[in-house]
Amino acid sequence: MRTILLGIAALVLVTSVAIAGKKQVRYVGIHPVPKAEGGGFCNIEGPHVHVFGANKLEYRDHRGANYFVGDPVAYGYDGPRHAYKGHHPIHVHAVVGDSEPDVEYCYLNGPHYHYFTPPEGPDFKMAGEAYFYVGTPPPVYVEARPAMVEINAVYTPIVYARPVVEVAAPVGWIGLHATYGVGMGVGIVTPGVVVAPPRATVVTPGVVVDAHVHVPTPTLRVDVGVGFGGGVVVGGDNGRHRGHHKHKKFKGKKRRW
Amino acid sequence: MRSLVLLLALASCSKDDGTGRGAATGELSRDRIVEAWKKGGLTPTPLTAATTPVGKDCQSGTVNGVDVLVCQFATPDEAKTAEAKGLEWVGEATGMAQASGKVLVAASDRRKSDPSGRTINQLMKLSK
Repeated sequence: MRTILLGIAALVLVTSVAIAGKKQVRYVGIHPVPKAEGGGFCNIEGPHVHVFGANKLEYRDHRGANYFVGDPVAYGYDGPRHAYKGHHPIHVHAVVGDSEPDVEYCYLNGPHYHYFTPPEGPDFKMAGEAYFYVGTPPPVYVEARPAMVEINAVYTPIVYARPVVEVAAPVGWIGLHATYGVGMGVGIVTPGVVVAPPRATVVTPGVVVDAHVHVPTPTLRVDVGVGFGGGVVVGGDNGRHRGHHKHKKFKGKKRRW
Repeated sequence: MRSLVLLLALASCSKDDGTGRGAATGELSRDRIVEAWKKGGLTPTPLTAATTPVGKDCQSGTVNGVDVLVCQFATPDEAKTAEAKGLEWVGEATGMAQASGKVLVAASDRRKSDPSGRTINQLMKLSK
């Protein structure tokens, strides 16, 4: 009886400590701060802790720490940024300065920003001052895709100055790929069921009017809104786009964290 | 005799004890870190001795309102190992613990004076 009472007392004690204490959550790299925690942006680049959690769509695990893979500009980040279009790998180890490879994937459709440049090599091509992934994604990208593309639902309602990418996508861009490109803006759907007419996006600085009309017909899918490189303005950058200047902080330089 | 005195003088200068006296070796020390913070435009308060489980030779203070703990260890491995305890010292706040050489620097924004993390980011970069 005495043992049982002691056990209950210990359980109550442990529970109350867990409730009273906020758990530290590990992060690495810059990331937005949830509105409930004050909002804004955390500019700590090295491994650090907060007492708030990270969501599964915008963060990836990097050796036990949460690494932000979303668009920082959507959350008010005003530092150096680089335009990308469509899905692509992120070499997290290169960004944070680790030697052991850790490649994660960004599933943001259409033009968006990151604060890092991609690694040099044939897998990325620059066109219209934006990076396009032209490599072949591995199975891990494909497997996670159905869940991870939900990140786009997070960004759709956010009004911010997205990059303007008006050039045709380079040959081999993942968004034009018969398999991987589906749903990324331009998709070639084989036994087609859905045809969506061009999505019209009207942008003025700070205001986005987004009209998206779906007219079902049998064979073809063309969804120009977020992916087609042929002259569709997806957003205004409010004069803040900084071109394709290499982010020297990350280029060819191993950061010591 | 003169050689012996010179030798002893050299030996005393070549060892970094965390007070900055070993600066000639290029090793980090508390004094050098504080000096780097000042040169970087930060405003540290004078560090005072701190009793903490993180290490035996620790001093604490604030930098631009952020609580800092700077501990000196005998070896870089000891400093690296103490990072976990440094995070415990951070507590329920935004913070960071980073070993550089034989020195461990921990920063904790308990007073919420650094919501953007810029101070912590800068002071950690200057602590390397």
